[in-house]
Amino acid sequence: MGSNRTGWLMLAPTLLILGVFGIVPFFYVLYLSFHQWNPFAANPNMIFIGANNFRRLVFDGEFLTSLWFTLKFAFFAVVSEIIIGYMLAQMLTRDFYGKGFFRTIHTLPLIVAPIVVGSVWRLMTTPSIGIIPYYLNKWFGYQLNIGSDATAAFIITVIMDIWHWTPLVTLTLLAAIVSLPKDPFEQAQIDGANRWQIFWHITLPMIRPAILATVFIRLMDALRTVDEVWMLTGGGPGAATRFVGLHIWKIVFPKTDYGYGSAISIIVLYLTLVMCWLLYVGLVAPRVRRSKVNADA
Amino acid sequence: MVLGTRRFRTGSPVVEEWTRLSPFTSFGRKQMNVKIKIGAVALVASLMAGTVPAFADFWSDAGAKLKGVTLRGVTESTPPSNYIKDVLAPEFEQKTGIKVEIETTSWDQMYDKAIKDMEAKTGIYDMVYIEQDIVYAYLARNFLVDITQTLKGDPSLKAPDFDETKFTTFANYFKGANGDLFGVPMEAFIKIYLYRKDLFDDPKIKEAFKAATGKDLAPAKTHEDYTQIADFFTKYAKDNSLELWGTTAQAHTGHPASWYEFFESVAPTFGVYNWGIDASNNYAASVANGGTMNSDKSKEALKYWLHLRDIAPPESAASTWTEVATTFAAGRAAQGLVYGENAAWIASDAEKSKVVGNVGVALPPVADGVIAEAEAGKGYIGYYDGGAFGIPVTSKSKEAALLFLQYIGQDSVQGGWAVAAPRITNTSTYEDPGVKDMDAKLGGYYTMLKDDGKLFAGAPPYPFHAQVREATSPIFYRILTGEVGPDEGLDQMAAAAEAELQNLGYRK
Repeated sequence: MGSNRTGWLMLAPTLLILGVFGIVPFFYVLYLSFHQWNPFAANPNMIFIGANNFRRLVFDGEFLTSLWFTLKFAFFAVVSEIIIGYMLAQMLTRDFYGKGFFRTIHTLPLIVAPIVVGSVWRLMTTPSIGIIPYYLNKWFGYQLNIGSDATAAFIITVIMDIWHWTPLVTLTLLAAIVSLPKDPFEQAQIDGANRWQIFWHITLPMIRPAILATVFIRLMDALRTVDEVWMLTGGGPGAATRFVGLHIWKIVFPKTDYGYGSAISIIVLYLTLVMCWLLYVGLVAPRVRRSKVNADA
Repeated sequence: MVLGTRRFRTGSPVVEEWTRLSPFTSFGRKQMNVKIKIGAVALVASLMAGTVPAFADFWSDAGAKLKGVTLRGVTESTPPSNYIKDVLAPEFEQKTGIKVEIETTSWDQMYDKAIKDMEAKTGIYDMVYIEQDIVYAYLARNFLVDITQTLKGDPSLKAPDFDETKFTTFANYFKGANGDLFGVPMEAFIKIYLYRKDLFDDPKIKEAFKAATGKDLAPAKTHEDYTQIADFFTKYAKDNSLELWGTTAQAHTGHPASWYEFFESVAPTFGVYNWGIDASNNYAASVANGGTMNSDKSKEALKYWLHLRDIAPPESAASTWTEVATTFAAGRAAQGLVYGENAAWIASDAEKSKVVGNVGVALPPVADGVIAEAEAGKGYIGYYDGGAFGIPVTSKSKEAALLFLQYIGQDSVQGGWAVAAPRITNTSTYEDPGVKDMDAKLGGYYTMLKDDGKLFAGAPPYPFHAQVREATSPIFYRILTGEVGPDEGLDQMAAAAEAELQNLGYRK
């Protein structure tokens, strides 16, 4: 009984912080989402409007466009980061000259604040001035202009995200790879399995939990990207990089449409949870079920 | 020396105290006539002025009551704001003992922080930057302290050298319906037409221009002239492999700077005012309802500007107001519309600018009749930008903030400030020797501000400024990328503006 109370006492600060900074704001945003509230409207007071905000967003072309661009962004960024991160992790399991230096350099982007990452990439990609357009033009005759080329701007935002977050994936997968037991690999080699078979049938299944955890983290991050992109493109050209996080920011802050912005926030949170749940159901749950069946047998 | 003669007049508390205690005067009161007494007082007072350093001035007296207070302000990172942070705040701190922390940040972040603070009533900031275009929204929400009334209510806070009547008429933008001041003007400038004097005066270029157009090369007065000059320079530079273009363009495809350039600097020169919204006609924006946002003039203006954007430096599609100034300073444009706050460093700071000594200023090119409308007070030819420092009603140190605002509003600090950052908010600043010198370097910018400032105007007095901008700017960005044509785009923008105004409850 005493230890139970001690346990709760030790948990209390965390629960308090979680409640104050997580749960209370969530319910406040939920409450706002059922109201029309713009402090600069003719009537600046909150007006209860039921589910009108949610109905509005279903027909809001700008929101749906931003959602589509966000999903594309998250897909390309996360898939690329997992693939590149895995390859780099495999590389780091081997010894090569300058490995320590490479690992340090490779990890540096992780400690840079997203807003700084956006600023640096903006400097590097500003037409006529940035180093990237300069060399693309010099070497390939390609004139990169992220201010007018929507596709180029989208690709640059994906590359920037990959540059920033691949080290996280590398470190996570490296930790998973180096902790794998050696026996299955030695056995597979004795049995004559080739490198692809070893990767597909042994390595991948064994590091799958680490991959999924990384995908969940990166997917949630990618879906709420704001600061890097805000600094790099401001959401442009047009709406090409106006990802949903940035869209919400523009609705809530410059436009001060708190009610509608809250409704979008709730929907985006819901969609994120659904996507993570689908990933779990599709990739983790069947494996758990199979393990349970095997254990029962 | 801080001792002022005003504090040693006969009858002032200091002199009376001295008179009461002094054996010299108590002995002589019965014997000396009035003239001798006054002479003695003046003599002793002058001696005291040289030997007694303990007497303070208004600032140290006022600051003593508020010792230990730390003021926090948030403002946009602009040359005038940086001067406050780097020069005026430390000066004030030294004189009063009141610490001042000025946070200079991006335009978006500045609004984000200030509005959130005032809306949530957190009281983090004691001073906020109020750009001219947002003041109506702040006043509508009663966010700001009435400076005039507060000073009347507590005369002990009134600085001797602060006088609301010393401001230029730009201060009127920061007055409420009752005529009271809600913000102390700290920057005021016009968006001007800058051109490269060295290029415009180059005999070889003049000859080439004459050959190409049959005209003499001179700063443009009409849109046709401006386009012709821009086309000429862009082609001339290409033919001669120069990193030079005919014009600047503040045409970012995802930042409101482009929206502002069009509605505040370009459309008015075609006779489209107040963003094309008619407040007196139920806030109509579309032509169908009586507005002008999608009028023929507006469409003509947009096509004119889009052409300029196409022949501007490649970075223009990613340029806000800051980058436009940088482009001009880098010598990459022959002419352009540039915010006056950047004119000083472009024209005089050789560390940042490659065109020092080669900058000319002129009024923006306009369509027929626009100047006449502006002179008659029925229109304007460009943007009179600026801002003030105000005190949020949620501030926890209003008295100290009021002192600081008065400090930066005094005539005595204006000269150095105007030279460091070309902004004039007090009428006397035009006569400052430093300002006159700078005026010559800037090609007469200050003279233009003084004489022709009346032809420019700030943003219209709408309390829904950011809301309408954000409702229409996504369409504007699509026009810039070519996803939507200019005519169709302006039609959509007018409809979006009216829908937003209806949603906000202003349009019935």
